[in-house]
Order: sequence, then C-alpha cells, then structure tokens
Amino acid sequence: MISLPLLRGFFRKEFKQAVRDPRMKFVLFIAPIIQLILFGVAISADVKNIRLWAEPDSKDYVLRHIYEHSIASQWFLPAVDNRNIEPFELLRSGKIDAALISPPGGLNRALGRGTADLQLLIDATNVIQAQSVELYIKDITASVVAQDLKLQPQNPPINFSMRVLFNPYLQTAYFMVPGVMCMLMCIVSVVLTSMSITREKERGTFEMLISAPISATEVILGKTIPYVIISMCDMPLILAAAVFLFGVPLRGSLLILMLASLAFVCSTVAIGTLISTFAKNQQQAMLGGFLFLFPANMFSGLMFPLENMPMVMKWLSYLDPLSHYLALLRNIMLKGNEIHFIAFHIGVLILMAIGFVYISFKRFRTTLQ
Amino acid sequence: MSFVWSRAKAIAQKEIYHVIRDPFALALSIGLPIFLVIVFGFAIEFNVKNIHLAVHDADQTQASRGLIDIFGKSEYFIIDKVTSPEKAQQAIMSNNDRAALIIPGGFEKLLFTGKSSQVQLLLDGSDNSTVVPILSYLESIQKMANKQLANFNPSENIDIKTRFLFNAELNSRWFVIPGLTVAIMAILSVLLTALTVAQEWENGSMELLLSTPVQPLEVIVGKLVPYAFFCLVAVVFVYIISRTVFGIPFRGNIFVFGLGCVLFLVTCLVQGLLISILTRSQSLAYQIANMTGLLPAQLLSGFIFPVESMPKFFQYFTMLLPARWFMVIARESYLKGSTFFDLGIPFLALGTLCWFMIFFAVKKFKKDLEP
Amino acid sequence: MHNDFVVTVENLSVLFGDFRAVDAVTFSVKRGEIFGFLGANGAGKTTTIRVLCGLLHPTKGEVSVGGIKFDTKDAEMAIKKKVGYMSQKFTLYNDLTIEENLTFIASLRKLDTKTYLKRRNYLLNFISFTRPLNSFIRSLPGGIKQQISLAASMLHEPEILFLDEPTAGVTPAMRARFWALINDLAHLGKTIIVTTHYMDEAEQCGRIALMRTGKIVAIDTPAGLKKTTFPDKFYEFEPRKTISYLDIQKLKICPEFEYFEPFGMRFHAAFKKSPEAEKFRQELNVDFNTKEIAPTLEDVFIKITEEKGV
Repeated sequence: MISLPLLRGFFRKEFKQAVRDPRMKFVLFIAPIIQLILFGVAISADVKNIRLWAEPDSKDYVLRHIYEHSIASQWFLPAVDNRNIEPFELLRSGKIDAALISPPGGLNRALGRGTADLQLLIDATNVIQAQSVELYIKDITASVVAQDLKLQPQNPPINFSMRVLFNPYLQTAYFMVPGVMCMLMCIVSVVLTSMSITREKERGTFEMLISAPISATEVILGKTIPYVIISMCDMPLILAAAVFLFGVPLRGSLLILMLASLAFVCSTVAIGTLISTFAKNQQQAMLGGFLFLFPANMFSGLMFPLENMPMVMKWLSYLDPLSHYLALLRNIMLKGNEIHFIAFHIGVLILMAIGFVYISFKRFRTTLQ
Repeated sequence: MSFVWSRAKAIAQKEIYHVIRDPFALALSIGLPIFLVIVFGFAIEFNVKNIHLAVHDADQTQASRGLIDIFGKSEYFIIDKVTSPEKAQQAIMSNNDRAALIIPGGFEKLLFTGKSSQVQLLLDGSDNSTVVPILSYLESIQKMANKQLANFNPSENIDIKTRFLFNAELNSRWFVIPGLTVAIMAILSVLLTALTVAQEWENGSMELLLSTPVQPLEVIVGKLVPYAFFCLVAVVFVYIISRTVFGIPFRGNIFVFGLGCVLFLVTCLVQGLLISILTRSQSLAYQIANMTGLLPAQLLSGFIFPVESMPKFFQYFTMLLPARWFMVIARESYLKGSTFFDLGIPFLALGTLCWFMIFFAVKKFKKDLEP
Repeated sequence: MHNDFVVTVENLSVLFGDFRAVDAVTFSVKRGEIFGFLGANGAGKTTTIRVLCGLLHPTKGEVSVGGIKFDTKDAEMAIKKKVGYMSQKFTLYNDLTIEENLTFIASLRKLDTKTYLKRRNYLLNFISFTRPLNSFIRSLPGGIKQQISLAASMLHEPEILFLDEPTAGVTPAMRARFWALINDLAHLGKTIIVTTHYMDEAEQCGRIALMRTGKIVAIDTPAGLKKTTFPDKFYEFEPRKTISYLDIQKLKICPEFEYFEPFGMRFHAAFKKSPEAEKFRQELNVDFNTKEIAPTLEDVFIKITEEKGV
C-alpha cells in the first residue's frame, strides 16, 4: 500500500529543499543555540539582587550587623541612600524591595529587655521573591544572633536534616535548561512542518502532487517523516549545549533520551500536519502554530508549577506534549532511568502522534474540493 | 511632504477589513487573550500545596505518629506511607512523591532522654518550583514539631515581624495577571503586524501602495491603528476580568496606566512593522518576531523570572526591551499605586524606545521608496 | 481504432456551494484527437479538466476517462494513472534542479530507475532540450519551463494528456514550438485535451468546445463552427482613407448587417439575406476595399456569445 521508493523520493526532495534554504539553516542550527544560551543564562528563579534598606547612621549595632551580613551574602544589594524619605514610601515608589526597621531605641536595647521585634517590610508584588526574602532574613538574623551576640541557640530536640536530591546546590540551570530545550525542539517541528505543506498548496505544486495516483497516507508520511528527521538533527546540538555549556548532567541513558525526543518530535510534527489541514495559506499556518505553541508553553511546567492547577487545567496539561517531554527531560537528565515513568510518558507521546496523524489523514483530500 | 489624514484613514479601513475577514487572525486577537487570562487566572498558584510526601516510619511510636500528623494536618502535604527508605527514594525517582520523610527507629526514645533526635527529609531537586516553597514550609513545621512534641519553645531573641506589602496574602494571581496583560499585548501586536504586513510585501500589494503618493508615516499610522484598536480592546477586556473575576486591586492612576499602554502598544506595533519591512517574507518575519518579540516578552521581561535575578549583562540587555519597562508600569499601577513620577524612569525608557522604533521604521520606508 | 472514445462526459455539473462552475456539460473525445476548450476566464474550462484528471469529483452527471467510470475513490486513482496533467499554475519546484524535479515525479509515479531514465532521455530529446540538467528551474525562461513541465507530465506514458493553458505567458515563437510538439504527440496516437484563450491555437485543434458561464455553447471542428455560424458569404472591409470612430459607430447600427465587428484598422461583416443588404454592400465599395474571406474563430466566438446573451 505504501511505496518505499515513493517515500524515498519525497525525503530526497524535502531534504534538498530544506538544505538549500539559507533561512532553514539559521532556524535549525543557529537560532536554537542563541536562544538556549540566552534563556539558559538569563532566566533564573533564584532570588537575588534584592535592594535592602536599613536606617542609615543608626547606632543600633545589631541592626548594622544584620544589614552588613545581608549585603555580604550577595543576595541583597544596598539601597541607595535616601535620607529623608520614609521606607514605606521608598517601597511604594519602587526604589527598594525590602526594609529592616528596628524597634524604637534600637535592637541592642530591646534585646537587653528580652525578645526584640525586628520589622521586615517586603514588597510582595512578586510572591516567590517575597517568601525567599523572608527566609533569607530569618536565616541571616539567626546566624547574627548566634555568632555576633554569642547567644547560643539552643539545639532543638527535633532536627530536620534536609537533603536535596539530584540538584543539591539548587542550580537554576538544572531546572530551566530542560525547559528551554523543550521549547526549542518544538518550534521547528510544529511551524516548519505546517508551513511546508501549506506552501505547496499556495504555490500550486500540491495540485501536481495529487494529480499522481498517490494515497493520502503516502503524502502525509512523505511530508512528515523528513521533518521528524530534520528536527531530530537539532537534538544533539541542543543537548550538547545543555550538558557542556550549562553543566546539566545526563544521568540517564542517552539512547532513552533520544527515544523520548523522537516520540516528542513525532507528536509535534503530527500537530504541525494537523494545523496544515486547516490552514489555507502560510500565514494561517504560522498563526495556527503560534496559537498552539503559546498556551502549550504555558502548560508545560516551565513557567508555572503544574501540581497546583485545578483538575481541569491539569487535564489540559496532560494533553500538552510539551509537559510530557519536559517531565521526561528532567527525569532522564537529572534522575536517571526510571522505566515505568519513562515508558508511560513516551507511550502518551506516541499515542498523541498517532492520534493527530490519524485526524490529519481523515481530513486530507487527494482532490481539490 | 505633508501628512494627510484621509489617506491614513483609507489605509486603516482596508486593514480593518483584512483582519475581520481572517478567522485565524481574529481568533488570535480576541480569543487568545480571553482564553489566557481566564485559564491562567485560575491555574496559577505558586504556593505549592498538596505535595506528595513519602513517609517511612521505622519508629512507630506516639511521637513519630505525632510528627507525621503535623505534616499531614498542614494543608501542604499529602502523606503516602511506604515500607522502606529505599522505597521512599524510589518514589521520588519515579515522580510519585516530591519529598520523603524518613523517621529512624529510636526517635521517641531519644526525645524522652532529652537528646537531639534527627529525622531525614529528602527533597526532589529536579523541580525548583516545589523545592523552594517546601523549604519554607519545613522551617515552620520544624518549629511546630519542636513545640508540640518536645515542648521546646525557645524565645526568639530577635523576632522577625514580616509585613508583606501590596500583596498581603501572597496571592500569585496578583503577580501574574498584570504581567500577563503585558505579555499578551507584546506577543499579539508584534506577531499580528509582522505577519499580516509581511504578507503584503510577499504578494506585492505593499509595493503597489508605495507607488502611490502616500507618505511612509501615513502607511505606518494607517496600518497600525486597526491592530492598536484590537489590542486595546483586549487590554480593556483583561482589565475588566482581572478586576471583577479575580478581584485584583487597581491602586494606581488609570490615565497613567493608559498612557503606558498606548506607548507600549505603539512600540510593539512599530516593532512588528519594522520586522516585516526588513524581512519581507512571512516565514522569516515569524522567526524574528518569535526571537525578538515573543520569547523575550515571556522570558526576559520580568513576567515570571525576575529581572533582578539575571546576570548583570542581561539586566542591562533587557533595558532594550519595551516589555520589561511596561511590566514595571503595569504591576506597579495595579498593586502599588505608583504615580507618574514614581514611574519616571520606565516611562522615559519606554518613550525613548518608542521614538527610536518609529524613527527607524520611517527611515527604512523612505529608503525603500527612493528610486 | 479512431472511432473509440477515450473520454465521455454526460450532463456533468460541478457545484461549489451554490455556484455552478460547470453546468450540465456533455461531450466526448476520440482517441488521437486534439480537443480544445475555448472560453474566457471563469468559463469552467479548468474545472472541467480537473474533473477529467481525477482532481475533482463530479457533483452530478457521468464521466468516463480511458474507459474508467469516475464513481469511486479507486476510480479516481485508476484515472490518475492513465492521464497526464499540466496545470495552469506552473508546478515544478523552483528550488530544485531539472534533474531533481524529474526524479521526484518519477518516484511519485512509482517508476523504476531504468524505465525512468529511458523515458526521460527520450522525452528530453523529443522536446530538443539541450541545457544541462542540473540547472535550477527558476533560472529557465518561461517557454522552456513549460516544455519541461510537458515532459514531466509524460514520464509515465499516459494515453491522454490534459494541458490547461499550457502557453500562458510564453513568447509567440515558443508558443508555435509548443504546438508543434503537441501535433507530434497527436501523430504518435496520444489524445490531447487543451484549454486556451488564444484563437490561433484553437484553430489548430481537431475540435473545439466553446464554454461560457459553465455551459458548452458550441462544439465542432473549427471549419464546422465557422460554417454553421456564418453560412453565407463573409467579408473583410478595409477603409480607403481613415475614418473616424463616430463613422464606425454609425455603420455599426445599420440594420443590413447580420454581423459587424472592427478588427484593428479593418472590420469583418456578414450581411442579411435581402436585396437591400446586397445593395448596401455594393455601396460600401466606394469607401472600402472589399474582400471575401473565411471567418476567423474570433468572429465565431463573438457572434455566438452575443447570440446567447451576456
């Protein structure tokens, strides 16, 4: 039913066209590397460079110690000296992010009388940042109290010994870079596939294709498989950048990672094909690709934690191939080979690929109607 | 060369017809913002709850059960009992649990003899979004456990009294939704103009337009006004939803915010136009719009990942992004009630970028018109 | 052998929604014929051809191509095997070389390499193609592109060829060359169905069908059409001195004319069968050089479309 020489002929044509297009080379090889570096280095969920204020010229040496330790920790930056302005006003006008306010008379005096209250004002516009700032200050204050004041903290009877697995230093790159990899891998497969099919419709070569006695299956396979292969060519590059530039480990097997990537690329190419059955011209194909990619990125788990979403949203994220692939990437690279988990997610991706190709097949016409 | 409004208006009218008759573009400009705001309004919650915690209790005493209880009764954790420490690690490995609590035998005995007793907590470090909140929960749970189970209630020498300003309940939505407005606007406006105008270059109708007495500025104004209109409708819509459905406060000055919107919108639209002028091809326009519009708006503007956390080089680099400045204006207008003077620097930056964009666009257009 | 019909069409209608692109069309084409469709854009020529190539399903009516009745999906595939199609939009890939285009089409048609090479060389020879095969399509002049396209449509040795406006945008010299090729093909026994809006090309067809708004308004050999449309004498008048536009308008409305049409500096006319008309014709000799000629297909087309109403 499917002629292999026919498929080979298709592959040869698509590859030649892809390779000859200078823009394609840019999109496939240069753009992903630039973007990976850009976003891998730039974005970070770490909380740092927080502008901290404490009353200048204070005789409160405890406060001074806490302030200096905070700056020394490198999480905080000193606020520019604004003598005559209230800290609240500084926060409101966006000049500082957090402020330490000691009780009247100063902390040193208050400590002498028992427990001292240290007020911490935090700009909570950014929720995660605010929580981290609170944690940092509490930490720093505790160590100042112990070291500087030599007030030994009593050892609590119940001690939580915490170990962070897979990423002991909480390096952002381990978390972010797989997310960016995921994003890059699918831009090519979704957009280029859908555009290649609609371009043939626009130029009229599609008419020539279907004037030959070929089946819908042959056309779909002939158009999609080359793009699966082309997209997969990107994978080693992106992976190499992630591992060698960002130091993200690869604790699982490379082969399994490749398999997972193959399953993902198949599913996204299938989506690109489906979009092309709706689009009448290249512009619509691109817009359609974008309409898919933007929400898909949002639901993938890179930007927002998926655990917390309401049930309905969680279901939407299950339908998102990006969320499966990101989970696979994080699992395989950071944790290792966890067979059941991996098999499940790869299975879902393959099912999606088959499902979308099937729908495309049903919509595809070998006539011009 | 004078600017004739009627010509610009004619171009604008044609553009409106284009967009209305294109289902995809229409779906994008109206459907996407609506969909996103509603979905993400309900979906976003950075304070992770219902974290699956694998628990192995080797002690099986009242104290150990009490400890497990404290974890379970907090709204943060869901307890999954496992039969061995290895199984606990396995559970984290296979993503069934995000953390594990391992209580060794002799836990209660140590407590009663007044010595220090240790329990181990394993956290899944492959997902930063859960680790950081968990660490802060653990701090308060440890305190509670010490207080309830061992009567250990040390007086804090220094008691930190935290006041969270502008978002006292740490509501993630208040952070995300204003930012979402910015991201959507940036993406919509850049993409719409880059694509639709690039199409005109590709099929030659733009050259036809430029062969008439029309002036570059008229083309720019005429082409962009309809998209500006659609985007503003989207902004108003998002504003209404954020205020009524999600109850996000708006403490600032609506005119200041409006000015920021208009400036930002114009900048993004002209950016899209510039991309289409330079590339004249839809597929390339899309790539460039993606790289310079979408991705930066999503990732580098401060939408989710704070600009302060970026390396110094990038902090300076993002100053070239209009989205970064409008993000500040939007968030602070909603949550802080900032005045125009407070937002002086962002407005200055945004205004400058806007002016530069227009300047380049007009210059490039003029150059193309020269014989 | 020359009496069997390779294409039969009975009451074919093609509707796109409410729009009747083809309206109850009936005709047949014999083996070895050069059959032409003549008509303006939008008349329904391309739509009809597309049905015959298997690219569109008929909405109503019966179609049979190469002995295969077009009623099922399998029939669609079988028909596509038997026919060659050259579409209006030039449809080879600009970013591939000639060689690459032809090998691709060979794989589409599932030809093995040996057969393909043999046929390719034969066809390139047939069109007297001498350029290197590794030139890109986009570097070729228009006329050559059409010839390659023709060769491409014949790689699988179809018996029936459908050529939709094959000489659009081509120089007159190239057009003549192309039609020489078409005639050669007909001599080889191929059936060729062509659409055109060039009258001089239509003259070279065995039979022509005139189409207007989806209907066939006339179908016959060129000579037959001329005879039926203008059964009586037909004349060409050349003014002895320049005459104004106003004068021509005055002439046009004279009731003695059965047919009147300016042709460049001259005009073609046919007269009513009456003594007054005959007298009127003689009078014209004063101002005009008169010549009896055979009507052109253009005259036929104008007369028929006038008759059938706009």
